Amino acid sequence: MLFNSSEFVIFFATLFALYYFIFKEKTKSQNILLLVASYFFYACADWKLLPLLIAATLVYYGLGLAIFKTVGSRRATTLSTLGVVFGIAVLGYFKYTNFFISSFQTLFESLGLHTNWHTFKIIVPIGISFYTFRLLSYVIDISRGKYEPARDLVAFATYVAFFPCILSGPIDRPNTLIPQLQKKRIFDYALATDGLRQILWGMFKKMVIADNCAAMTGIGADYMNCSGSTLLLGTLLYTLQMYADFSGYTDMVIGVGKLLGFQLTKNFACPLFAQNIADYWRKWHISLTSWLTDYVFMPLNIKWRDWGNWGMALSIIITFVLIGSWHGASWTFVIFGLYHGLLYVPLILSGGMFKKTKIETGKWGFPKLKTLAKMLLTFFLVSFGLILFRADSLTQAWNYLGRIFSASLFAIPAISEMQDKLIMSFFIAILLLVDWVNRDKQHGLQMDNIKSSVVKWLIYFSLIVIIWAFGGSQERFIYFQF
Amino acid sequence: MDKIQSIFRTVLKHDDLILTENLSANDVQGWDSLSHMLLISEIESALNIKFKLKDLNKMKQVGDLVDIVLSKLS
Repeated sequence: MLFNSSEFVIFFATLFALYYFIFKEKTKSQNILLLVASYFFYACADWKLLPLLIAATLVYYGLGLAIFKTVGSRRATTLSTLGVVFGIAVLGYFKYTNFFISSFQTLFESLGLHTNWHTFKIIVPIGISFYTFRLLSYVIDISRGKYEPARDLVAFATYVAFFPCILSGPIDRPNTLIPQLQKKRIFDYALATDGLRQILWGMFKKMVIADNCAAMTGIGADYMNCSGSTLLLGTLLYTLQMYADFSGYTDMVIGVGKLLGFQLTKNFACPLFAQNIADYWRKWHISLTSWLTDYVFMPLNIKWRDWGNWGMALSIIITFVLIGSWHGASWTFVIFGLYHGLLYVPLILSGGMFKKTKIETGKWGFPKLKTLAKMLLTFFLVSFGLILFRADSLTQAWNYLGRIFSASLFAIPAISEMQDKLIMSFFIAILLLVDWVNRDKQHGLQMDNIKSSVVKWLIYFSLIVIIWAFGGSQERFIYFQF
Repeated sequence: MDKIQSIFRTVLKHDDLILTENLSANDVQGWDSLSHMLLISEIESALNIKFKLKDLNKMKQVGDLVDIVLSKLS
C-alpha cells in the first residue's frame, strides 16, 4: 500500500475518522486503534512475517523490563548484550545468510576448493532493518540508564510497528515517540495543516521529480550501449531521483504522523547543499546516521581515542562499512560504505571535520561561488558513490565507470526528448529553489513567512495541478527494499 | 573546574562559556558527539586520568563530568 495510492487514502480516512471522532481523547483506545492499523498495514505488505514482528516486540518488551530491574548490574549487561546479539542474529539470518554462503563459496573456489553449498530461499521481511534498529536502541539505552522502559505494552508495540515509519523509517528513538504515545492527543489544526503541506511537498518530490527521473535514469543492463555523457547525466540525475524519492517519502511519513498528532524525527536537511561529505551525512538519512554514530562510531572512537585522528578515521570507516551493509547483502554496498568512509579521511586529517560548515550567501541570497563549488564537488562525489549503490555487481560498477570516462563522454547525451528535458529541468529548478529558500525549516512548504492565504492556495493549487498533470508512473519507493 | 572550563572554551571555541552543573550538550552550540570526544581526550591528558566507557555513558551534564573527574582524582 503506497502512500500515494487510493488504497492508502481509504485506509487513512477510515483510521482518521475513528481516531478523532470515535476514540476522541481516549489515549488507550487510540493506541489500540493505531496498533491494529499498523499491523493491518504491515500485513498488506507482508502478512506471513507479521508474527516475527509481534514476537520481536514481545521479546524486547520483556527484555526492557528485565534490564531495568537490575540496571547497572552484570545481569543487566548480559541481558542487553543478549538483546543486541539476538537482534543482529535475526537481521543477519534474513538479510545476510545467502551473502555469506556465496561469498565464502567464491573465496573457496578461487583457492581451488570445491564446495557443494546451496543458498536458501529466504524472504527478507519488509522493514526489518528499520524495526530491528528501533528495538536495539531501546535495550541499549535502558541498560545505559538513559530512560525507563515502557510499561504500557500497547504503546511500546505501536512504537515498534507505527505504520507510517515501519517500511522505511525514520528510525525514531524510543524517547521521542513513546512519550508522545502516552500523551493525550486531540486534533491540532495547525499541526495537521502543516502535515498536509508536507505531504503535498513530498508527493511533488516523489511523483514529479523521482518518478520522472526514474524514466531517464533506468538505463540498467543496457549501459554498454550508451555514451559516456548519457551515463554521466544518468548518474547525476539518479542522485536527484534518490533524494526526491527518499526525502519525498519521508515528508509524506512525517506529514501523516502530524495528522495523527505526532512529531516524528527529521530525516533530511537539504543534503544537496552539503559542502563536504561529513556535512552530507549530517543532512542525509539523519536518523540512520545518528543511530550508528551513537551505537557504533562513539563506542569505537572512545576505545581508540588514544590513537588520535587515525583512531577516529578507523572508527568512521567501520561505521560507514556498516552503513553500506545495512542497505543490503552485497559487496557493492560494502564498497559503497568503504568509499564514503575513505572520503572522511582527508577531512579528519586536515581538521575540516571539526569545523562547522556555514553557507555563505551573496547579494541575492544565493550561495557564493566558493560555497557553490564545494556543493558541486560533494554532489559529484555522492553521485559517483551511487554508481556502486545501484550496480548489480562490482564488475558492473567498474565497467559503468569506465564507460563514463570514455571518448563518448563528449557526445551529446541521449536521455530523453528535448521537451521532456526542458520540463524536467524546470521542475528540478523548483525543487532546488524551494529547498534553498527553506533550508533552515522543517520542510519545503512550511510557509511561516507567507501571510496571504491567496498566495498559499495558489501554491497548493499549482502543485496539485503539476502532480496531476506531470506525475510519473507510480514507482515503488527505492528504500522499501532495505 | 577552572581547568575543565578552559578546556571547554578552547575545544568548543567559546571564549566566554561559563560551565554550570546543569549545562548539557543541548545548551551549547558546537558541543556534538565529535567535539565531546575531543573534550574527553583533552580532559584525560590534562588531568592525567582515564575514563571508562561506563563513566562516559553516565555523563549527561557538566555536573556528572565533574563528579566523575573528582572521584578519579581522589
